[in-house]
Amino acid sequence: MGLESKCQGHVSDDPGDYWRRSCPPPGSLAVMELCVQEETFHHCCQLLLQQSEQLRDGWSWESVQSALVASFDADNIEEDIADDDGGVCSVSKDSREVLQYEYHILYSCSYSTPVLYFRAFTLEGRSLSLEEVWSSVHPNFRIRLQNSPLNTITQQEHPLLGQPFFMLHPCKTEEFMKPVLQLAQDQHRPVNYVLTWLSVVGPLVGLDVPLMYFTLLLPSPALLSNNKPN
Amino acid sequence: MSDTAESPTEPQKEEPQKEEPQPPSEDSATIEDKKKIDVLLKAVGDTPIMKTKKWAVERGRTVQSLSQFISRFLKLDATEQLFIYVNQSFAPSPDQDVGILFDCFGSDGKLVLHYCKSQAWG
Repeated sequence: MGLESKCQGHVSDDPGDYWRRSCPPPGSLAVMELCVQEETFHHCCQLLLQQSEQLRDGWSWESVQSALVASFDADNIEEDIADDDGGVCSVSKDSREVLQYEYHILYSCSYSTPVLYFRAFTLEGRSLSLEEVWSSVHPNFRIRLQNSPLNTITQQEHPLLGQPFFMLHPCKTEEFMKPVLQLAQDQHRPVNYVLTWLSVVGPLVGLDVPLMYFTLLLPSPALLSNNKPN
Repeated sequence: MSDTAESPTEPQKEEPQKEEPQPPSEDSATIEDKKKIDVLLKAVGDTPIMKTKKWAVERGRTVQSLSQFISRFLKLDATEQLFIYVNQSFAPSPDQDVGILFDCFGSDGKLVLHYCKSQAWG
């Protein structure tokens, strides 16, 4: 997909130059950016990581340098690897079967948005098939997602690791980010693009984003006296 | 899926939703779950505005359940996905109890939820 093709051949020393071109020109969005600049992506990820550490949610930041990355600026492509130790995210037909999911958040050059890669294993190390993964998609979304030709879960080679992963196609990211970004802008409220994006796509594929990520920003009196983790 | 967990808090001009007794659930639906919280629904963008915006919703009701209710109320078709946002900053998980959301993000005695219909994943 476009993840490699747009980045290869890029020679400019100024990464800002490239990222500005990849986003729609200003004016067409009336000041509001629906995509995220690579620098902002990094910043958002760092904030997310800080919160993850506080919540012991298991996200980590990995800079991967490999032969695949060497053809373009390694700094532009970095990833978060979530290592859900004992993180049981869903069950298969046999309700006693425990599955282990691994989620990666990468930055898509083509779409200037985060993109979610994931894979799932049984505890014996058998990787799940696409069909089995579909059965773990939240029922709220499953039918629509399956009927949608572009916005679907596909098997893709991980751009950095070269291993088979599942990926949630990023082409509709702008569309579901637009309402919340608009709302936030109206209220002059800052939004962590990556975290907000994750809150939408995560549940689709079995990843729960704990509420505490959002309550840490604004502790409410009710929460302080009634500390129930989700 | 019954709509009985919601009741409007404003007088309705049109025919109100018929309230039937809530069927007992198999799991431990506590008395706490039955308590209702006030939810204010706000449309975003081109999404149709609900005539009744304020609803009393049982705490134990999930976001998904409320989302389905709104979708039916607005008569969205199968290709349209409803998104719900809290605090103008995130989408709550579909399995989240609205009661918990109210505890964390409610203000002035109500939980404000923004909803938007989208063709994303449609």
